[in-house]
Amino acid sequence: MQQHDDFALNGPLQPQAPATGVLQTLPIRFTGSGSEYFRIWIVNLLLTLVTLTLYWPFARARRMAYFQNNTLIGDDPLGFHADPWKMFRGYLVVLVLGIFYWAVTRFLPAFGWFALLAVAALWPLLWRASLHFRLRNTSWRGVRLDFAGDTRGAYLALLPFFAPALALVFLVPPVADDTAVAPELARGAAMAAGLVTLVFALATPWLLLRLKRYQHGGYAFTQERTRLQVRTRSFYALYAKAGALTVASMLAVVALVFLLMFAVMGMGQREALESLSRPGAAAGGMVAVLVLGLGLLYLLIPLLTLPYITARFQNLLWSGTASAHLRFQSRLRFRDLLRVTVVNWLLIIVTLGLFWPFAKVRSTRIRLQAMAVQVDGRVDDWLARAQAAGRGVLGDAAGDFLGIDMGL
Amino acid sequence: MTYALPTLWFDGRNPRARPARIQLQGDDLLVHCEDDLAPRRYPLSGVRWPERRSHGQRQTDLPDGSLLQHADSVEWDRWWAAQGLQEPTVVGWMQSWHATFVAMAGTVAMLAVAWVWGVPLLSSTLAHLVPYSVESTIGRQGLEQLDRLFLAPSALPQAEQEAVRNRFATTLQRAFPDGRLPRWQLSFHASQALGANAFALPGGYIVVTDELVQLLRDQPDAMTGVLAHELGHVEHRHGLDLMVRASLVSAMVGVVLGDASGFLASVPATLLTQAYSRDAEREADEFAAFTLDRAGVSPAVMVSFFERLQRQGPARPGGATQEGEPGAGKGSGLPIAISSHPDIEERIGFFRNWRQPHAGR
Repeated sequence: MQQHDDFALNGPLQPQAPATGVLQTLPIRFTGSGSEYFRIWIVNLLLTLVTLTLYWPFARARRMAYFQNNTLIGDDPLGFHADPWKMFRGYLVVLVLGIFYWAVTRFLPAFGWFALLAVAALWPLLWRASLHFRLRNTSWRGVRLDFAGDTRGAYLALLPFFAPALALVFLVPPVADDTAVAPELARGAAMAAGLVTLVFALATPWLLLRLKRYQHGGYAFTQERTRLQVRTRSFYALYAKAGALTVASMLAVVALVFLLMFAVMGMGQREALESLSRPGAAAGGMVAVLVLGLGLLYLLIPLLTLPYITARFQNLLWSGTASAHLRFQSRLRFRDLLRVTVVNWLLIIVTLGLFWPFAKVRSTRIRLQAMAVQVDGRVDDWLARAQAAGRGVLGDAAGDFLGIDMGL
Repeated sequence: MTYALPTLWFDGRNPRARPARIQLQGDDLLVHCEDDLAPRRYPLSGVRWPERRSHGQRQTDLPDGSLLQHADSVEWDRWWAAQGLQEPTVVGWMQSWHATFVAMAGTVAMLAVAWVWGVPLLSSTLAHLVPYSVESTIGRQGLEQLDRLFLAPSALPQAEQEAVRNRFATTLQRAFPDGRLPRWQLSFHASQALGANAFALPGGYIVVTDELVQLLRDQPDAMTGVLAHELGHVEHRHGLDLMVRASLVSAMVGVVLGDASGFLASVPATLLTQAYSRDAEREADEFAAFTLDRAGVSPAVMVSFFERLQRQGPARPGGATQEGEPGAGKGSGLPIAISSHPDIEERIGFFRNWRQPHAGR
């Protein structure tokens, strides 16, 4: 079963002891508690609000430590060692960039392309830096993880996502003054926009797979470096199924709304016969049903599709992630995640959001406990490779820039 | 008093646990592995202790990159408490339900203060800081976009347009003889999508649909009142103000729910933003009533306008979502919590009873 890892490694990775064939499965457990996380959350929240969000990175460091110290692989927890002050610097960077981008797109929409270009140029760099930061500050059995992906790879993986937005900016000409737009020009612009959208929609699964190949191909622990072995076909199949589920749930909700509307119309007629004084009642009822239906559509569809995509995506990605002596397993069932998600959403709404930390712990538990790590040989004998301290200024400055959560 | 605790030590290079005993001695932490001759010594200033919690293993970072790991948290806490070290106050709060509830009350109070005073103050300050040229650019671009999507050239005769414009200008002159008013520019457009409608964009661009002019052809004073309402939006810079508020509100919701799915967070953000929008409408109504009154026109002329809207209301789909149209009372089927405009009955009452609070002057 063990596939030989023969792709070119950059860096001084040495193949370690040959596969022994002694396979050991380490289950993943999550021991966090909702009520304890609730207390952490509320105190963190107060401090974050009082400091006008400046406390946020410190709150995040505490939350990460809580979740990771409660994640046991085998019998040993993950550690989280980031210096909150470095995360604070990263947070300031993101705050300044975010406000700049927001202000430009809102107040100077004509220069939106410039802001987009600036973000496109910086984003891959910051993304890689923050993956690096995140992994380097996570440990298992005292050994730090690492992210081995390079900057070039990050640009290759991420830049295509900015292409459609840039293409739209340059292909669709801005309309000048209030002169009437020539119809053929308008049609041309609309067609270009449509084409870009279509091409991008078709390419998205492939682009996303490339992104995940880069990300899951860069995780490193001791001499092990993972790679992602997932076929493009299965990525497209997952997308098709998710799309089909979305359409099906949409149709179901639309049918439900129609049924309700007919019921209200029937009632409205009877009412109109009884009291002619309020002729608008039926129409008002219709509008109410329509609004209710749209609300349902807005809530029900993600309620079904989000757990589906989350579960299947996690299984596909993590089951395909392996290194020479490590292999991840993920068997998260859609049905189970759906049950947990429905209860979570209901209780969040009923408690006006106070259930949120409990929900977070519940969904983390079900997602993590569906996973396991298969190890070939004795971990005790592995040896960490020397990690160069502080690779680049940006790595530390950007710190925990994007707040990446890996679901592990 | 300070006893040695048996625990696990990891050297940071090799994922192998080594049993060790730890003990404090002066300003040092001693880590004595079973198979080592002498203990390792770490100055306490470089040791990062774990925060006290009831779940999860305890990990201590040592200055050389090695790690102590302890599975039994009760045992660890007993040892640590015996060392006389100081733990951060915040950690204590998080372990106490009493402090948690106090923090919860504090959080609710903070959010309420931010909602009632903070956000409005910040957004209106920001909106008034934006220079007129920028504001006018935003308005012009918005108008161009609307023009492409919803608006067609007006079919009204030039003379009728001029009459509406002149009547409005004269009324303003009578109401504000000293002339301290924002710049405005009125244009007429036909629009099937929007129906009888009027709206104001940043920079003083006021748009009225032909359908609205026709609806109020026999009520020129009500028409002027509608325009005054739109000028109220311009005067208070509601366009920019609401834009900033919407962003602040979603940022606030984001802080509260942390990394909650953006989807769940968008619902409260929308509801809260709509509440601000209703406040803005009330302010614009106030401005309209004030203007009409000063010009010697009874604000009650607006009542017939709202009644007409109400009458033709539910028959037509809602159409516009653009901020600022007084005509959105037609969404009367909407529950008030998600409507961008106050209840139409409330507005009728407001204009009808306008004189009472100011009768003394």
